[in-house]
Amino acid sequence: METIENNELTAERSLEIITQQIEQSRKAVSKSTGQSLYVAGISMMAMSIVIALTIYLTESSLGHLLWFVLPLVIWLAQKNNKEREHAPVSLIGSLVGKTWWTFATFTLLFFLITIIWNAVAARLYAPDVFVHIQIKVTPVIVLLMGMTVTITGHILRSRWLVAFGIIAGIGTFLWEWLDIGETLFMFLAGASPANLGIRAPILPCLTFLLFAFFGLALPGYMLKRKSL
Amino acid sequence: MNFKPLDPLLHSELRLAVMSLLIASEEAEFSYIKEQTGATAGNLSVQIDKLSTAGYIEVEKTFKGKKPCTLCRITAEGHTAFENYVKALRTYLRVK
Repeated sequence: METIENNELTAERSLEIITQQIEQSRKAVSKSTGQSLYVAGISMMAMSIVIALTIYLTESSLGHLLWFVLPLVIWLAQKNNKEREHAPVSLIGSLVGKTWWTFATFTLLFFLITIIWNAVAARLYAPDVFVHIQIKVTPVIVLLMGMTVTITGHILRSRWLVAFGIIAGIGTFLWEWLDIGETLFMFLAGASPANLGIRAPILPCLTFLLFAFFGLALPGYMLKRKSL
Repeated sequence: MNFKPLDPLLHSELRLAVMSLLIASEEAEFSYIKEQTGATAGNLSVQIDKLSTAGYIEVEKTFKGKKPCTLCRITAEGHTAFENYVKALRTYLRVK
């Protein structure tokens, strides 16, 4: 690393120092954000697998309630993030943090409202009506998450993070909305919609796993490598 | 061409680097500034002291867990001084 001494300098050198230090500060924030996205992605991938196994073994979709533990898992995993520990507190860092807090608040509240709505609707309406009035959680959450990754990319001025956010968000939204996972599963397992049974609630875990990889872990890894 | 005078306190490599780092951040740890500038702890400490005495930055000694931690942040006066320094610099670089 170039050592900066406290000697006299030219106007050009002054400009060079200012540009260099501001750029270094921006890189430190990008590296810290990259590490956070990477850790969140890996935690979410692990959680998707754990929840899928829980649903499969207990034969109950209540396993999805374990998603509420995810923020705690991510927080614990982030605790030892050295890059985050040394990153300066900056406006860019605060903006990224607040963007993710907004996402977390909206998602948790939306998830809660949906659980209550779907539980009430399932008791009040006949199954053929319920199918049409139930709120599908997964496509909305991946869309919100894709938006948050995209906004983070805009704040950090990272074009490919913006691209990953759009691709992962819209891609997994369509994957879920068009039931691609279900179709693929039925094709591979030779099952029909009627005998999907307990395996059906596992499918959103696959959607979240895909998003966690393409929308968080991979761009997070690339961001922290690029900022080294 | 009218050259504006450059603030002598900022017209030094290390002090300018410290101010540039802080202008991009709300606050930064002493260890982070040391790492980014590659300066020795002693030298950096002296320069930070000069900037603090001039009222350009404020230094807060705190703890991070059990470890002591020195936080530096730029003051409103520091912002103005940095802004004026950049304006003066433009006259030397002939930037409008």
